[in-house]
Parts: sequence; C-alpha cells; structure tokens
Amino acid sequence: MENDAFAGFYERSARSLWAYLARVSGDPALADDLAQESYLRYLAAARPDEGEVAGRRYLFRIATNLLRDHWRRPRQASIEEIPEALLAAGASSAQADSQAVLGPALAQLRPRDRQLLWLAYAEGYSHREIAEVTGLAAASIRLLLFRARRKIARLLREQNPNGGEL
Amino acid sequence: MTFSPCSHEKEVAELLARGQWPQACTPELRAHARACRSCGELVTVTLAFQSARAQAASAAKLAAPGALWWRAQLRRRNAAVERVGRPILGAQIFALCVCIFAAAALLVSQARHGLHWLAQLPQPLSLHLDALWPSALSSSGTGLLVLIPVLATLALLGGVVVYLASAKQ
Repeated sequence: MENDAFAGFYERSARSLWAYLARVSGDPALADDLAQESYLRYLAAARPDEGEVAGRRYLFRIATNLLRDHWRRPRQASIEEIPEALLAAGASSAQADSQAVLGPALAQLRPRDRQLLWLAYAEGYSHREIAEVTGLAAASIRLLLFRARRKIARLLREQNPNGGEL
Repeated sequence: MTFSPCSHEKEVAELLARGQWPQACTPELRAHARACRSCGELVTVTLAFQSARAQAASAAKLAAPGALWWRAQLRRRNAAVERVGRPILGAQIFALCVCIFAAAALLVSQARHGLHWLAQLPQPLSLHLDALWPSALSSSGTGLLVLIPVLATLALLGGVVVYLASAKQ
C-alpha cells in the first residue's frame, strides 16, 4: 500500500479502531499503543488488495488478537478480570454521558462479550464478520451475542431504571 | 435463558444502523419496540454503543499516518534483511563447526602418532630448519609449529567458504 492510499485509509478507519480498543480495554494509553501496532502489522503483512471493507475487517482482527495477547501476558492476572478495574478507573470527567452510562455496564462484562457487543452494535458487523474478526465459530456468535446483549441491557436498565425513550 | 428473536428485529436493526431511529420508523414499530423485550433491548444497546463510539472516536488522539507508514517500511526492510541473513548465519556456523572438528581431529591424530611422519619427510641436507628454531621449540613445541599453520589454513578456507556463500545469497 502506497503512502497516500494508506493515509486515506488511516483517516477513515483510525478513529473507530481506537474507539474499539479504548472501550474494550478500558485503557486509552493501551489503545494508542495497540492501534499503532495494528497499523504497523497491517502494513507489514503482504496481503492482496481486497478493498477497504475487507482491509478494515483485517485491521480489526489484528487489533483483536493484540488485545487478546495483552490480556494473556503473565503480568496481567487473568483475562477475565483485568479490564474491569481499568474500565471503572478510566472514566474521566471529560468522557461524557455515554461513558457514564455504558462504561460501568461494560466493565461488568467479560472481555469477549465486550468485543462481541462493540463489533455488533458500535461497528455494525454481521455475525459472519464478527466470526472473522474474533476467530470464533460463526455458529456460536449468535448465541453469545444474544446472551451478552441481554446481560448489558439488564445492567443498563439497573443503572437507569426510568429507561431511555425508545 | 431462551433464545427467541423477534420477527421485527431485522427492521429495527436496519433503522438503527442507518441512524434513522426513531425518526424514520412507523408509530406501530415504535410501539412494538416498547412492548417487545427483544426489540427494546436491541434499541437500548445499539443507541448506547453508537453514542459511545461517537464520543470515543472524537476523543482519539491519532499518530501521523506518514510516520506509521515509514515505520512499517522500516520494519519490512528489517524483516527482509533478517530473512536474507539467516542462511548466511547458518553457513558461518557450519564453517566454524567444520574448522573446530578438523582441528580437533588433527590434534587427536598428532597426539597419537607423536609427529613421527615428520621424520620420514625427505629433507635436503643443506636445509636444516630445526637449526633455525629456538631450542625450546625444537623438542616439545614441534607439534605446535605444524598445527598453527594448518589451523590458519583451515580458518582461511572457512572464511573463503563463508564469503562465497554470502556472495551467492
């Protein structure tokens, strides 16, 4: 990929990739590092040009693997319990309402559920695309997503009993 | 937990994905979303995530794409150099092993035979090299004087082999 083409792709994809990494990890500094590493690996990989949509999916796949590697490192305690504390602590005053509402609810979910929910409802990926990004079996995505959605909907309702206007 | 998708979910999801909820939906569909647990959850969760995405994306501090691109080129170049250097390193290790093995074999052989073959070599009567050697070397150090040039030759040959292997790469 040439410099100019990459600059365009980067402008169109970097913010959503950073948002994914920051919200799923709960750590903006980590999101900075992983986003840069994702792009470096994306550029270093000798892939045929399959278009922007496929390239974007591949980028999210790299980022997902980097997140997984980060959680699996021994200095972290466990993949299931790390980012909860980080997410709760990471909510600064500058991060507005949605963070205040979604952040604590997201913090109570497992990392995998956060990834699935973000990819489905923030990025709008289909089940097949989520399977491609996460490496999970396509058949299991639907059920995992259904459970995760039910759980976060309950948490959101508990935080805001009056509920939003549908 | 029962898995029971609603038949209206697809329609609701499409409106949400296009950012047209609730403006573009019919009053019936909106009433349905209020009453249906599955559609209600879909709307709540999707709106929360879309809002979080927009806010997080606006808060992102991005690195310059040009710098990333150059770093990636540098990484690719380093990877290519490493790939090319791997067989050369193998050849060097192989040449070193051959030299060490040859030197060890020579040492063992010379230790067993005590350099008797040197005495059988025809020497011109007028050339008495041992007269030029220091007296200390002429007795016990004779082996060393033979070994050193042999080892030097082997090392030189090893170097040539490595050079030829590198040049071929």
